[in-house]
Parts: sequence; structure tokens; C-alpha cells
Amino acid sequence: MPGRQLIMDFEVTPTSHTLADYKARGGYETLVKALGMAPADITKEVTASGLLGHGGAAFPVGRKWGVMKPNPGEIHYLCANADEGEPGTFKDRWILEHAPHLLVESMLITSYALGVRHAFVYIRGEFDLPCRRIQGAVDEAYAAGLLGKPVPGSDFTLDIVVYRGAGSYVCGEASGLITSIEGRKPYPRNRPPRLTVKGLFQKPTVINNVESLANITGIIRMGAEEFRKVGTAKSPGTQLISISGHIAKPGVYEVEYGYSWAKFLDEDCGGMLHGAKMKCVVPGGISTKVLTRPEIENLTLSHESVNPAGSGLGSGGMIVIAEGTCMVRLLQVLLRFYHHESCGQCTPCREGMGWMHRIIDRIVAGEGLPEDIERLYAISHANDGTTICGMGDAAGFATVGILNKFRDEFEYWIANKRSKMDGRLECRA
Amino acid sequence: MPAADGMVVFTASDKVKARRKATMEFITLNHPVDCGICDKAGECTLQDYHFEYNGGASVSRDAKTHATKHFDLSDRIVLDNERCIQCTRCVRFTREISKSNGLGMLDRGDHSIVRPSADGSFAKDAYSDNVIDLCPVGALLAKDFLHKARVWYLKATPSVCPGCERGCGVNLWHRKDEWMLRSPRQAARNDGLDRVTPIENPAVNGPWVCNKARDLPKLLGRVRAAGALFKGAPAPLEAAVLEARALIAEAKRPVAVVSSWASNEELAAFKAALGGRLALVAKRDHEPQPGEVVQDDLLIRADKNPNAAGVRAVLGECGTEVPKDADLVLVWGEGFDFRAVPASAKIVFLNAFLAPENGHADVFLPVSIQTERSGHYTNFAGVTSRFERCFALPPGVLHAEDLFGSLVGNGRGA
Repeated sequence: MPGRQLIMDFEVTPTSHTLADYKARGGYETLVKALGMAPADITKEVTASGLLGHGGAAFPVGRKWGVMKPNPGEIHYLCANADEGEPGTFKDRWILEHAPHLLVESMLITSYALGVRHAFVYIRGEFDLPCRRIQGAVDEAYAAGLLGKPVPGSDFTLDIVVYRGAGSYVCGEASGLITSIEGRKPYPRNRPPRLTVKGLFQKPTVINNVESLANITGIIRMGAEEFRKVGTAKSPGTQLISISGHIAKPGVYEVEYGYSWAKFLDEDCGGMLHGAKMKCVVPGGISTKVLTRPEIENLTLSHESVNPAGSGLGSGGMIVIAEGTCMVRLLQVLLRFYHHESCGQCTPCREGMGWMHRIIDRIVAGEGLPEDIERLYAISHANDGTTICGMGDAAGFATVGILNKFRDEFEYWIANKRSKMDGRLECRA
Repeated sequence: MPAADGMVVFTASDKVKARRKATMEFITLNHPVDCGICDKAGECTLQDYHFEYNGGASVSRDAKTHATKHFDLSDRIVLDNERCIQCTRCVRFTREISKSNGLGMLDRGDHSIVRPSADGSFAKDAYSDNVIDLCPVGALLAKDFLHKARVWYLKATPSVCPGCERGCGVNLWHRKDEWMLRSPRQAARNDGLDRVTPIENPAVNGPWVCNKARDLPKLLGRVRAAGALFKGAPAPLEAAVLEARALIAEAKRPVAVVSSWASNEELAAFKAALGGRLALVAKRDHEPQPGEVVQDDLLIRADKNPNAAGVRAVLGECGTEVPKDADLVLVWGEGFDFRAVPASAKIVFLNAFLAPENGHADVFLPVSIQTERSGHYTNFAGVTSRFERCFALPPGVLHAEDLFGSLVGNGRGA
């Protein structure tokens, strides 16, 4: 097991997601403790814990909360971002399927701390079981009197609405998400004003990733000091890593920050599929730059270790790629995705994604030109910092990351009209 | 990011210039560049910005994406989705200004397209034509102006819309002298208006006008009265003026029905010449038509005449009905119900357009329309705006302003 476990600390059984099982393992006891604290003290505790956001940007949760000043007369909203759309990432799904009550309890505590009386779970439209599980948990909590009326022993009331998205990558961007809840096209918004000042329905709104919220219950239960003993000084706690690709044992793992990356891959995940050699790894969702095996050899799974290597842990969607995989085809798949998902609001992303997709399609069709590689670089650079949300930048990072390290494969395909690697994406035995 | 005190904004650094050039490249990437057949060419901001910020040929080696080339947005506007650069100004206009919510963006990414809402609210939007001006490229075009003229053949004459008592500032576009059409088949178009655009005036209409202003070429382009008439029979203009003068001089109880489409200058000339001699009745030349928006919160006013306030200001309060004992009625302008004239009374009628009533008058005199003279209108809020002359006076037609002086005198011979 890669280090201590804070979220996946129970055995998954056919009933482990129910309210009865959750209560049997100590569920909703932390809520009672939290309701006995002053709201400001909960925010202080979360700030002291140093919890970093798990949505991809690793923004300190306490600092986000600190911007929102609970004002008894005003409406505040909380949204749990369960629109998990980053390719390679499926860790929030685990929480929604197996620990939905952990999320509900954490949202109750968070709402109490931030003066929220109305919270949303914005869940990805393609999620089926996770949606039924979180809706079931919310229904159970309503039936048990935890939601919809004052929580027993206090005058705090919260309503949670499970809102199902219609299926778009941009809906996972915080401002796109709230625009979608408002019933409009999920065009991201320019900031400032920050969403914690003017968010959903123009009211102060905190939007946290499901995994970030799921950590709140643990932090309040054990206290910030105990929480900080897990992980490293700069990356406290754990991270859920969803690993896929050419790996022997893909799945969701809870990794304590500071755990050796190589050891995680070779021992916990059972090494490469069919004993292949590793070519590279996407650390945290395809928007982070790929790293080769020699680059990660001495790294640990923590932000302070991965960031200086020119990449990031992002959302924890790790994709392992074996030797022999064609990176041109891989970039084609990636760019098709970005082209399909660009919302069309900002010109560089709207036109640039389609252009890059057409160029890579042309290269794969054997009609590539030597100038195409420079063109892909130029389009990536032109997207850097010129779009409202981070999608244009992310696509550029991913493209530049692959081009920098595997330029020879692109040059080979353009010159010889065929793949240097047999055009394979799969890993054969 | 909003501007703040002490903020420094770099608008011409190398990085900004490079990004701006790249963004222009992106915008033109899938734009068809069919300027040669595009009505917007010459006043297209994409053309201007391309020359200002990029200027180079396309570096793309890939085919352009295709979209609907000729989509009927309404019976007034045609949409070209290939020219559209997805700026969504038109969508915002229907959401924020006209409030019809008639347009939206369908799909996403580089295949997103502007489409009207399913309830047809865009076709009913009384301000819909403003999206044609708002469109920075030639994606939204007026069907009335489609392929009519290159814009550099036209000149804009500042004017005032006579469609209602708001008096919106408008530019009337007509052909420049050096670009007059020569062939006999087309020559008639030289004297017509080609299109109407708003003049931004925060005190009156802001930057908008309603669709009625866009239809002024039709309203002012109706068939004109060609010459003077005696009881329906053509007559020389001078003789007709003398006859009218004699009728007015002989009348015991003459009444004038005054046009609320008259300019302040014409009203002043009328008052100086005939004001003391005739009893006055104010007339609404135009009433709301079936299907027309009568009044709304944005611009449109219920009184469909431009200068009712000017009539009150120059002539004071006038009567509303022709007195029963009148023995002569001078009717000035359209929209008068001649059944209100006592049977024994003589009629002198001043009108610009061909109408059946013209022949019923004892004396009919053809007068000029707004585009043939300059003057001022005073709107409902008391704002006076000037309109300029577009065209020369056609032969056989008089300016009402000049005519009134000739109507004073005694008898036929003098």
C-alpha cells in the first residue's frame, strides 16, 4: 500500500456506500464535533492543514475559503465539482461510488463553516453508478434528517441538489460549471471578480473538487496537526491517483504524498503490462507534460518534487505509456479530444484546436510538411495566456510536452509517410 | 480585469504584438475571404484589423471548414455562417438590448453557429436590423441591400427618421455623384435611398434605430405626384398657385390642416405668411399600421409623426377638427380624411405622393419630401435635430416653405 490511507481506509463491500455502513465506521460523528466549533475555527483548521486542491491546479483550499467572508444576511453557495472530465482521471468516481456519505458529511461541515445553506453537486452527465450512488446518499441523508431541516442538536440547515451535467469538458472549469447550473451554455467567465466574490447567480460561491471536499471530514476529525503528519511538509495528506495505460494493475490508489514514484509503479501497480519497458508517463491528466522513465526515477509523488521537473501531479490521472507506442497517434487522439471539447468562446482555442487537429490528421495521412511541427509549436504558443479558461494553455502544454521529447517520431512520419513505431497505441504481449 | 488606479497596460510590447497577430491568423483561418462578393467589404472591421495587425497571407495549408452559406434568419436578414467569426455580438444584442432572446450559439468549438431561437422571436424583433451594423464582418446582411451597391459608391447624408416622434438620428445612404448609374435601365436608382444606418446620439436614440427606419427607402420611395391638378385635371404649376391664392383670398372662414411631418422652417414660413389668416387644425399624417409596434420601452413612440412637438412650439395649440362652417380647407400632407371637410368648402391640397385624394381637391399642388430639403424636427422630449438634403428638387414640385409666400395676396390677376 503506497503510504497511509485517509479516504480509502475501509473495505469496499456491496453495502459499504450506505448510510448504515458509513455510520458503523464512525460516519457523521465529525459533523457533531464540527457543529460544536465556531465556523471561523473550521476555516482556520483547514487553512492550518495546508490542504491543496485536488482538481488539478493544487490551489490551497484554505486560501480559497478565506476570500469568502461569511455574512449572515447574504446568500452563499457551495458546489462540489464532480464533473470529472480530464482524460485519464477517474478518482472522484471512486469517492462518489464508494464513499458518497463522506462527501455529504464534508459538504455539511464546509457549508457550516462558510455560511452556506444551499449546496450543489455538479456531476458529469456520463456518470451512471456514481450519480445513482450520490443521489442515493443525499436521499438517505434527507430521510435521516441530516439535510433539509436543522441537523439534530443545532439550528444549521443545508439543502444539497445533485445537478447532472449535459456532458462537456469545459463544464469542469469552475466558472463554466456555475454558468451551466444557471442553465446557460458553459462559457467560462473572465476573472476578476473571483467566484468567491461573485459566482453562482452573482452570489459568493466556493467550488471545490470532490476529493478536496472529501478530505475536510478527516481534517476536522483528526485536527490539522495530525493531518500534517501525513504526506510531506509542502504537500500534506494524500492524493488519489487513477492510473491507466500500459500498467499491470490499473485502478485508483490512494498515495501518501512523498511516496517514491518508481516504487509506486513497479511494486504497488505491479510494473508494466506484459513486462514491457516504460517509455513515458502522463503524471496528472493529459494536460500535464509527459515525463520519461529516467526523468521520474528519483522523483517522489509530491508537488514539490514533480513541479521542478516541468510537469505537475494535476488531477492525479496518470497514464503509463510503454516503449513501442506511437506518440504521433497519441497526439492525434489527444488533439481530437481538445478539438471536440473546445467551447468556442475564445478565438485562439476555438480555431487553434481544430487547426492542430487537421495538421496532425494530415501528418498521419502521410501528407505532412516539414513546417507542420513548427506550426504546432506556434499554435500552442499562441494559445498560451490568450484564453479565458485554461483549456487553450493546457492543450498547448500537452502538445509541446510531446513534441519536445518525441520530435524524431514526428519528423520520421513526415519524411517517410509512416510511423516509426508501427503506429501502435496498444501494448502487445 | 477591470481598470484600476495605477495600473499599467502594455498594448504594444513584442509579446502583445505577436499574440495579436496570431489571433488575427486564427480569426481568418476559416473565414472564406470572399470580400469580392461581400456587401461588408469596405466597412468590414476584419479587413481593417487584418491590414493593421497582420497583413500577411495565410500560413495554413489545410482546407477551410464549411458551414451554411445562405441561411434565412428572418424575411429581413440573411446569415452567412462561413463569414461569421463567432463574436456573439448579435446574440448579446437580442439578449441585452432588444430583449427578444432571438439568437443563440448552437454547438461548440469551431463548428458552433449562430441560429435563431425556435419560437421565431427574432423575426418579430422590431430592432433586429441593428445586428447587421453590429456584425463586424459580412455574416449578417440586409436582404433589401443585398448586392445592391459597393459601400464606397455611396455617401451618407445625416438625417432624422420621420417614423415616430422619437426622431432618431440616421444616415441616409445614396449614390455619390461620381458613381451615378448611366444605363437608362438603372438610372432610376440614382434618386433613391439605398440603405439607412443609425447615427449614435445618446440624447435621442443611443446607437440604435428600429426596423421602421431601415424601411425609409420604401416609405420615401413611393410614387410621387408628378404635377399640379385642377379638380383632377393636370394644370400648369404657376396657374395652380395663383388659383390657390385666389381661393384663399376669397374665403370667409378658411381653415388650414397642418402637417406634423413639416419641418420647423416650413412651419415658421407658414406662420409668417398665412398664420393670421387661417384657423389652424393639427393633423397626424401617419397612424400606427396593423402589425406595427405602437410603443415600447426602448425607442418606439406611439405618435408616428416626427414633428408634432414642432407644430405645438411654432403654431401653439391647434384645433383637432375642421369647423363645420369652414368654406375653404387647406390640407397640408398625407393622412387626412376628406369626409371631415364641409360639402360646400373648397379644398386646396398640398401632397408629395400620388394618391386618389389628389384629384378630389379643387387645387392640388405637389410638394417636396424630406430628402429634397434640409430642416429641423423637434422630438417629443424637445430635442431639435437637423436633417440634410440628399437629392435635388424634381421638376414640377415646390418646396412648401417657398410656396406659402406666394399664397398671400388678393385675387387671380395680381
